[in-house]
Amino acid sequence: MTHAAPLTISNLVCRFGTTRVVDEVSIEIAPGEHVAIIGSNGSGKTTLLRAILGLHPIYAGQITVDHVHAQRAIDWRQRQQRIAWMPQRQATGQFPLLVHELLASSRNPAVAQHFATQLEVGTFNQRPLHALSGGQLQRVFLARALGSIAGGAGLLLADEPTAALDFGGQAAVASVIAAQQVTVLVVTHDRTMASHCTRVIEMANGRAREVPS
Amino acid sequence: MNIDTLSGLLQLIPVQRAIIALAIAGGAFPIVGVWIIGLNIVPVRFAMMHVALLGIALGMLLQYEPTVVGLVLCGITGVALAPLAKRPAGLSGPMGLVMTMAIAAALLVLSLSGVNANGAFELLWGSILATRTLDVVILAAVATIIIIVYIWKKRDLALLLYDREVALCSGIAVEQLTMLLMFVVAVAIGAAVHLTGALLVDSVTILPAIAARNLGRSLQHMVWWAVGIGIIGNLLGFGLTLALNQPPGPLLVITVGLITLATFLRKRS
Repeated sequence: MTHAAPLTISNLVCRFGTTRVVDEVSIEIAPGEHVAIIGSNGSGKTTLLRAILGLHPIYAGQITVDHVHAQRAIDWRQRQQRIAWMPQRQATGQFPLLVHELLASSRNPAVAQHFATQLEVGTFNQRPLHALSGGQLQRVFLARALGSIAGGAGLLLADEPTAALDFGGQAAVASVIAAQQVTVLVVTHDRTMASHCTRVIEMANGRAREVPS
Repeated sequence: MNIDTLSGLLQLIPVQRAIIALAIAGGAFPIVGVWIIGLNIVPVRFAMMHVALLGIALGMLLQYEPTVVGLVLCGITGVALAPLAKRPAGLSGPMGLVMTMAIAAALLVLSLSGVNANGAFELLWGSILATRTLDVVILAAVATIIIIVYIWKKRDLALLLYDREVALCSGIAVEQLTMLLMFVVAVAIGAAVHLTGALLVDSVTILPAIAARNLGRSLQHMVWWAVGIGIIGNLLGFGLTLALNQPPGPLLVITVGLITLATFLRKRS
């Protein structure tokens, strides 16, 4: 298995109740490609990412990672081993968890710690996550995701990775993500982040269309 | 009360058993309280109290040991509820349903079998001073299971209680772990209700955990705080019970409750 994972989304439909939030979306991403998904709030970007992770049920269509369509629990667990996830800042919990405990859950904690230092959050190891600012929390999650890539993940899914960062932080995070030799799918409103990607896909009303470069 | 009287009380076997039971429960059951807070399933104790009553009623009807039937039924219910934990609405609704159905079924079983309902309620609302040696053994066994599960799954638990989705995407078998937790929580509450009384369940589970939530910076810190408060608070409360010659349940809850209240004041400051 190559390190970077191919991702194929075919005629994907996801719903909230009867509303189609992802509507017949098909995207093919080659190993190592970096793709940005842009679009207004509620256009289905985050739901698409969550469906890839198995966090949102698929109503129709299919998603393959490494050419595998996950059906059984064990398939999903194998898929999750191949994905490094950087969640949306607001989506994470409130129960106490220390920074070093989160980094330790990366597939390569030593590399995660290294990146935490590089991203200037390496000194916060003993702090609970809920005591961090939004930008610090995002960098900790990015360090964890990069550790997972070092540990074998071949697909990075990042949901608005620069949303809570200042301009300097946005550029630093964008360049760190751009340097990854894995497949990257990033949901963003940030033009700098999108400009680092090889392709840009725009979502509107659950539909996806390629933005000409 | 003078020292001689207190010393005399401490020589009594029921008092010694009560102290041992409280030390065991205070040392392990607050860990369950931390899980309950983390999983946001505080109503679980009401649900399990009623399930335990149904189990006791069934045990009396079928002439099996009521305590054991109650614990088995609590364990089964905990496992059955676990798959619903992934719903966005959580477990509050299903637990309310379980509570209502269980009490209705228990009353029906008691009526059908002609068993005296008061007998079942007495078994359910146990007393710390009526603890038998067998009860202490059951308590120790449940406490051991709680500690083993905590030590065995500490890292996975920290992630699950922080955020279910982060845990899931870290490759943790979240559904199985939730099922295990629900089983242990349900059995622990079933055991605690019978052994120490309904009022005391909170003093050995939820109250120390709430206090620990105010003091702890991580799951591990919370567990240490909860266990410390569980042991010290309950033994202190029991000491007051003996010294003031008052019923144990209210004094234990008030003592641990006041410690919990103090942690809120400390947090505010």
